[in-house]
Amino acid sequence: MVDPANQTSHLSAPVLEELERGSGPFSSLIQQLTQIVGKKALLYDADELLVYECDGYIVDKSAPDIVVFPTSTEQVSSIVKICNQFNVPFLARGAGTSLSGGCLPIGGGVMIVLTRMKQILEINLRDRYAVVEPGMVNLHLTNALKGTGYHYAPDPSSQGSCTIGGNIATNSGGPHTLKYGVTTNHVLGLEAVLPDGSIINLGGPTAETPGYDLHGVYVGNEGTFGICTKAIVRLTRDPEAHRTMLAVFHTISDATRAISEIIAAGIIPSALEMMDQGIIQAIEEAFHFGFPLDAGAVLLIEVDGLDIALDEEVRQIVDICNSHNVREIQRADTPEERQLIWKSRKQAFGAIGRLSPSYCTQDGVVPRTRLPEILEFIEATSEKYGMRIVNVFHAGDGNVHPILLFDERDQDQIQQVLEASEEILSKCLELGGSVTGEHGIGVEKINFMSRIFNETDLSQMEKVRNIFNPRQICSRDKVLPPHQTDLQASVTQSHPGRRAPH
Amino acid sequence: MTLTHSGTPEDFVPASQPELSRFLSENATSAHQQIFPVGGRTSLSVCCPDSHSGTLVCMSQLHRVVDYPVRDMTITVEAGMRLDQLNEIVSAEGQRLPIDVPQSNRATIGGVIATNTSGPRRFSYGTIRDYVIGISAVDGAGNLFKSGGRVVKNVAGYDLGKMLVGSLGTLAVISQVSLNLRPKPECMQLVWFEFSSCESVDQALEAIVTSGTRPTAVEYCNSKAARQIVAESRIELPMENHVVCICYEGPEKVVKWQAQQIIEEWRSFSPLSVQIIEGTHAARLYHAFVEYQTSSDDPVTLKAMLLPSQMMSFIETATRLNIAIQAHAADGIVYGHLPDSASSLEDVNQILEQLTTGIDSRTGYLTIYQCESDWSESLPLFCSPPAGWELMRQLKQALDPQQLLNSPRFAKLVKH
Repeated sequence: MVDPANQTSHLSAPVLEELERGSGPFSSLIQQLTQIVGKKALLYDADELLVYECDGYIVDKSAPDIVVFPTSTEQVSSIVKICNQFNVPFLARGAGTSLSGGCLPIGGGVMIVLTRMKQILEINLRDRYAVVEPGMVNLHLTNALKGTGYHYAPDPSSQGSCTIGGNIATNSGGPHTLKYGVTTNHVLGLEAVLPDGSIINLGGPTAETPGYDLHGVYVGNEGTFGICTKAIVRLTRDPEAHRTMLAVFHTISDATRAISEIIAAGIIPSALEMMDQGIIQAIEEAFHFGFPLDAGAVLLIEVDGLDIALDEEVRQIVDICNSHNVREIQRADTPEERQLIWKSRKQAFGAIGRLSPSYCTQDGVVPRTRLPEILEFIEATSEKYGMRIVNVFHAGDGNVHPILLFDERDQDQIQQVLEASEEILSKCLELGGSVTGEHGIGVEKINFMSRIFNETDLSQMEKVRNIFNPRQICSRDKVLPPHQTDLQASVTQSHPGRRAPH
Repeated sequence: MTLTHSGTPEDFVPASQPELSRFLSENATSAHQQIFPVGGRTSLSVCCPDSHSGTLVCMSQLHRVVDYPVRDMTITVEAGMRLDQLNEIVSAEGQRLPIDVPQSNRATIGGVIATNTSGPRRFSYGTIRDYVIGISAVDGAGNLFKSGGRVVKNVAGYDLGKMLVGSLGTLAVISQVSLNLRPKPECMQLVWFEFSSCESVDQALEAIVTSGTRPTAVEYCNSKAARQIVAESRIELPMENHVVCICYEGPEKVVKWQAQQIIEEWRSFSPLSVQIIEGTHAARLYHAFVEYQTSSDDPVTLKAMLLPSQMMSFIETATRLNIAIQAHAADGIVYGHLPDSASSLEDVNQILEQLTTGIDSRTGYLTIYQCESDWSESLPLFCSPPAGWELMRQLKQALDPQQLLNSPRFAKLVKH
């Protein structure tokens, strides 16, 4: 069990070596885990483990030694206690859609995959909350709520596969963040298994709970505070109506100025998504939506709320777009047309395959008014490296997702992608922004942490992490840069590349 | 020196964050004085602190705007800025921080965060935790630290701002904050419904779940509270029964439509009377609702956090016990002012016992929000322990190892 004397120190290499297959401790560990979950809920064959060697971030890879699929909080707790007993690191994984290596099992260990814990435990419309297990796919909750007049607001683009537990770990956003907020704004409470195996409840179904807001601190911990085993999430009224439109602009700067003015006019659209010329061309080639190929940028604008309010908002938006030289505005007058417009946005990443064999998506944020500058910089970076970069992103909250196109077979191009990404994210910081708006620090951006935060800031974060995870036995070497004296377990470097951003 | 003291030459008034940091650092290494951070001193009795010796750290000089990029709809200010000052600055740009704060001419933004103050608008706009995008603070050892940033979307690092919201100055002294802002609505109207029973109120509140309207706030008050709120607003309104007051904000046409719509929807619940309040009257009445939670001179103010579906049965019991009740009804947040007749600790404890009986301890909490200092040692702060208590204790230990920051208040948190 946990040795208090060993607190705050990293696990030592010899301990990990004991996990080598064929060794006594390894067999004993397998045996004990099997007693908890059964043979069919355990993987330790090297080929099967390859599936779990990375998530959506495939630059770094590190396979776990064992993958286990619990079905209850009690099983998770028992698994964690055994990992402590064997001094084996562990971490949780949902659907593996994380884009920053949040569930990369650095140095191996036990991976606890929560996809079999996917039940809705309670839906309470009167009190506007639902209780779900962490492996619940985000979209499945939305589907279960259809017809009730309520929904769960956070909707990452990967919502068809990502899980609520993963959303909580990374504090996920999505296209509707601008109006409805991110995951932390919709989590009322949670149950978690702490890294010592104890089960705790934080927050609760009431709008407020006494004491410190620990569930608020827990959201966005990227798996380093333990394993969320139950979530109490706030339900939001469905809007009565939507108005969705596509505004086609000659230039990106016209489009970004229109965005600023729409919000300055007191309108908070439910979505404000931008696609630049490069992505428009790719989408058009793939799906033939009828976008003009010479357009500088297209804005997908959606407002929602009471039907009686929306026409006036649309009128104001159209006026603002007109005053910024909009070429044309297409409006969706039917649900089918709305779906088609959203399809153009959601299939953007599917279209990129036509442009390039590989791509790398970044996740920088700038203040909304600095969008023209960062977009200019991205264009200049594209020219500097002779590398095509296209943009499709959440313009309303300044979260850019430049997509760097390259050929992974060319080592020079891989190096250029890494350098160009670094330059773009550094520029985001220079403009007063951040290096991640919704994908998290994970292992990918860990070196940026000491540029964003000073030693004291990081030290305070470390203190908080150590309260939850004193031995760092859970999800090690994530979020906070390790001390130089600490062991840094090796990972295998692969190629840059990402799936669709949230 | 006592916490309730209005200020003496011994108070420390930092002029900058580094100065605050130095002071706390020196205190931690030599003086070991208890530190009581104060802003506008409007919430000193929240969570029942007693008089204790130590040093008041007055944040009144840290009141500057650090950065206000208007079109980004964010603002960074020092923690001692008063709410009215903040609202005046952003209001000039058609923006607002949609958090209701009693005594906003005195209350500071740091105090609002530390006490997690909220009011009627929390139903549609959330609470201050939803608007803090970045925060700086100084811990008990004098470490100045920050988390978050100045952009509305940012997941770099842990959200330490959340842990400071509602921490009552027991973890760190909040020194600077970046906030997300919202557009100021064009118009506000209130609809004042009077009902004859808790049961009909409960039915009406349940119907809010499926209403065709989108209220900004849903306030309940019993007749005892209604009389005081009406008196404060100086508007003639019926107040002898149970009152539900619905607030709508937005474009005028939309607000007016909603006010008529809710009257139509609630006709079937047979309200005794209905009245639409608009213009300056609406502003005055709303102000009275915001102020009421802290305006009482009664010896004890309770705060219950309940599921909305379980709220009215609690209120029924409280009303029977002659407690004046105001509730953010759609959120299940209830403030109760005990009657003057509760003149002894025994009386108060007896009332608490009766109220607690009706609360589901798995989903509801009853807390002492404010009370006379003579009683604060003897009353439980929480009538059931908060979840995650042991972690809270460790958090306090990590950020304030010598227990120098407002520790009497923290001791209250322990004593549940």
